[in-house]
Amino acid sequence: MSSYIHEFESKVKPKDYYDKVYEELSKVNSRLNAFNVIIKPEQDGVPLSIKDNICVKGVESTASSKILRGYIPPFNATVVDRIFKTKRFSFLGKTNMDEFGFGSFGINCSKPARNPLDEDRVAGGSSSGAAIATALLKYHVAIAESTGGSISSPAAFCGVIGFTPTYSVISRYGLIDYANSLDKIGVMARSADDIRIMLDITKGKDPRDPTSTNTKITDLHHKKLVVIDELLDKVDDKIMSQFNMFIDKLKGLGYTVENISLKEIELSIPAYYLIAMAEASTNLAKFTGFKYGFKAEDFSKPYNDFFTEAREEFGTEAKRRIILGTFIRSASVRDKYYSKSLIIRGELIDRLSKILKDAFIISPTMPILPPKISEADSMSPVQNYAADILTIPANLCGLPHISFPYSYSGSLPLSAQIVGSQFNDYGVISFASEWEKNFKYKFKYNIGEI
Amino acid sequence: MEGEEFDRLLKISRIKLDEKEKQSIKRDIENILEYFDSVNKFDESKNKLAFHSVEINGEPRKDEVEKFEDRDELLSNTKTYRGFVVGPKI
Amino acid sequence: MKIGLEIHVALPTKSKLFCNCSTEPIEEPNVNICPICMGFPGSKPSLNEEAIVIAKSIAKTLNCKIRDKISFVRKVYFYPDLPKSFQITQLQESIGFDGALEIDNEKTIAIRRVQIEEDPAKIIRGENYSLLDFNRSGIPLVEIVTEPDIQSEDELKSFIFTLKALLYYLGIDIDREIKSDLNISLGKERVEIKNITGTKNLIEAARYEIDRQTRLINKGMEPVKETRSYDEKERVTKTSREKESDEEYGYIYEPDLPEYNIENYSIKGTIDPIKKARELSDKYSYSSKTILEAIAFDRHALDLIEKNQDKYHFDSLMQAVTEIKRFKLNEIDDTSLRILIEEIEGGFQIDEDTIKSIVKHEKVRHDELESSRIDDEIRKFIDENPEVLKRYVKNKKLADYVAGEIIKRYKSKPKEVLKRTIEILNSMINQN
Repeated sequence: MSSYIHEFESKVKPKDYYDKVYEELSKVNSRLNAFNVIIKPEQDGVPLSIKDNICVKGVESTASSKILRGYIPPFNATVVDRIFKTKRFSFLGKTNMDEFGFGSFGINCSKPARNPLDEDRVAGGSSSGAAIATALLKYHVAIAESTGGSISSPAAFCGVIGFTPTYSVISRYGLIDYANSLDKIGVMARSADDIRIMLDITKGKDPRDPTSTNTKITDLHHKKLVVIDELLDKVDDKIMSQFNMFIDKLKGLGYTVENISLKEIELSIPAYYLIAMAEASTNLAKFTGFKYGFKAEDFSKPYNDFFTEAREEFGTEAKRRIILGTFIRSASVRDKYYSKSLIIRGELIDRLSKILKDAFIISPTMPILPPKISEADSMSPVQNYAADILTIPANLCGLPHISFPYSYSGSLPLSAQIVGSQFNDYGVISFASEWEKNFKYKFKYNIGEI
Repeated sequence: MEGEEFDRLLKISRIKLDEKEKQSIKRDIENILEYFDSVNKFDESKNKLAFHSVEINGEPRKDEVEKFEDRDELLSNTKTYRGFVVGPKI
Repeated sequence: MKIGLEIHVALPTKSKLFCNCSTEPIEEPNVNICPICMGFPGSKPSLNEEAIVIAKSIAKTLNCKIRDKISFVRKVYFYPDLPKSFQITQLQESIGFDGALEIDNEKTIAIRRVQIEEDPAKIIRGENYSLLDFNRSGIPLVEIVTEPDIQSEDELKSFIFTLKALLYYLGIDIDREIKSDLNISLGKERVEIKNITGTKNLIEAARYEIDRQTRLINKGMEPVKETRSYDEKERVTKTSREKESDEEYGYIYEPDLPEYNIENYSIKGTIDPIKKARELSDKYSYSSKTILEAIAFDRHALDLIEKNQDKYHFDSLMQAVTEIKRFKLNEIDDTSLRILIEEIEGGFQIDEDTIKSIVKHEKVRHDELESSRIDDEIRKFIDENPEVLKRYVKNKKLADYVAGEIIKRYKSKPKEVLKRTIEILNSMINQN
């Protein structure tokens, strides 16, 4: 099996197909909180979901934040325009997420997402809803977004394929910003070939996003895989033993695996969070409660009080990041934190690019199995941030990466992540395609099966 | 971080916290900053700032006027009075 | 005394700095708006090329060093007129830096920085609310930051005059709103007066503030470091609300915009009218000040002078320029100019009729009187108005009146008529 999109397009759909999908999805959604808005499609296309921080004209887009409730964008994101133009897809709705993308578990929002494979556990984040929708629907693609691992993490926890392109390959116009120099729109699906189809539709320079590029995307198939020891130090033992078996399997498939040490990789977490929070605190400054989204009522209040009152709508993590980001940007510490982090990013890009010249970097996607929601709730911010160690380096350095299941532990998937050199986006997708020839993914739900 | 510094940050970011939130977020932030301080271990003489992760050639757009067609939908997000957007008192 | 300025000038582009909305001034609020200039979530800025070209030209005119690569920063502060609660502007990576503007032969004002930035929305204060018009939001501005090198009100005036003349030659409509921040320190501390509209108010605010600080110092007091605003109605400066400080602006690099390589960008042909005036003055020994006054805000005048300086006597040419201005003739062709200068050199009075003729390339009609007929006409006039002679005895200036009447009737050469009138009057007195 290669493409669910092609399979769906070749099938005759029952007349009430979308009614049934809508009905079943709505029912499951009330438990799992995958969607913020579900729309019954009218077109005869492949079901498509869009993360709630990507603007769809005329449809409430909140990035799962209370402060954006009621925001109806008067325009489509470029990625949405490009997909709608093909007339091959039917828009199903906006998927849930951690507020503004602030989280790795999908619980920093008013309706915490639940993992369809074990409903006591988290679905991962921040693109929690995109991953759940992909795990629920047989024929469907999800447009998601990653800043530091927001596609890989939930894709891994929900057992689907999650692809994050090289920074700049897919236009960000219409994305409600978290951290502009790190945000990347990407795709989740049930097969690597579907991801390739979506990349072809959405990629390429967009005059509305000056940071988008037309750099040629390569499809380099490397047989050399590199494991960075410092990353594996943080991985749960149970996962490690399974991962080692996976590595052996890959060796059997003709890959060579090389272990290397890269001490500086540990700096990627603080460097990433410093840049992300500095940028986020400026992006969130615009939410002042009167032009869109949540409206504070009393205009007679002096503007500072009016703004402060409106900004009480932010969740705790958003407030924490605003305060931290504001601190990091203060003139007196800016060089120490912000500028230093930009230097580290540059250095890491240089070092990783050298490694990736003739290889892929491989690691488990997440260092832990999806935690119980109650466990995740009680984790401290530092523990939370540290859980992103495997996904952050590729995200910080704008490298294309893909996460896919390689084994199962009971009902829960174990996923690996392949990182490629900048603009070798087809290369990492091809790796997953190759893997799929040797491994059959398991899906618990198949809503919309024909 | 001194209490005064923390209050200053709240003021300039227009964020209000109750006492309990204040205590817990302040403690979190201190821990996070301690954790983040490790970036200062990186003391190479390098000083090239990577503002973006990939190389991007800035291409400005041409100076052309194009009317935004959905003005009504734009303004329907907000409260207006005689065509003006209503904002808080200054 | 130290005075420094931050002057914001709107650039004459067709579309806004970061979106395609028109910059055309319009009365109706919120017409030229889109998600970008209203700062809607999801929108992104896209930089206008023409703004770079004009800003680069301004920087060049102000003798700045020009950066090959420019980028932008976010300056964060909260105010209802600022759509994103941050302004996209420039700081270290500004387009121009280390410039200088010579305001007269002796004095130069150093220019610290020339930067590109976006204008906020227009805000109207209501009693229990504010009203916002986003038509202005996103209009491209250039901010010119000087070093505090200005040392008197006169220097401030000539700096503004010189700057305006330079901008005029870049096609920047100087009548469009110019907004400035003014730093003045007579004592140890710096006083900043924010957001002064127009150059007239700028000079008045400076005058008031110089006076205020002088009075304080004379009383043995020290002006305190503060931000003030200028009240246009009362014409005074007042202590104003504390705005964010540099520490609080929390500048970061603007991550939605890449670096732009502007090395190969052309600049608008820059003309420095001050230099031009000086050159012409040296060449023709003519007052530099008069030339500058003629050309400072009149490109046609400069073109006319440059094109015709070899053809005509410079004094006549300058006189022609004055007449052209006086009669608001914007364009004048070679033939018309030739006729005009002939009239000037012939000593004729230039009036509406003269101008009508020269525009039509017609020879100006003078009822040219033979010298003998001039005498006849003068005598005839005196005969008809006998009181003239009596009064002339007491008041010699009456000759002007008589000559004027003759000129009016016959468009004769004024100098000659006056000369003859005086001679005839004198001889008639002697005869009596």
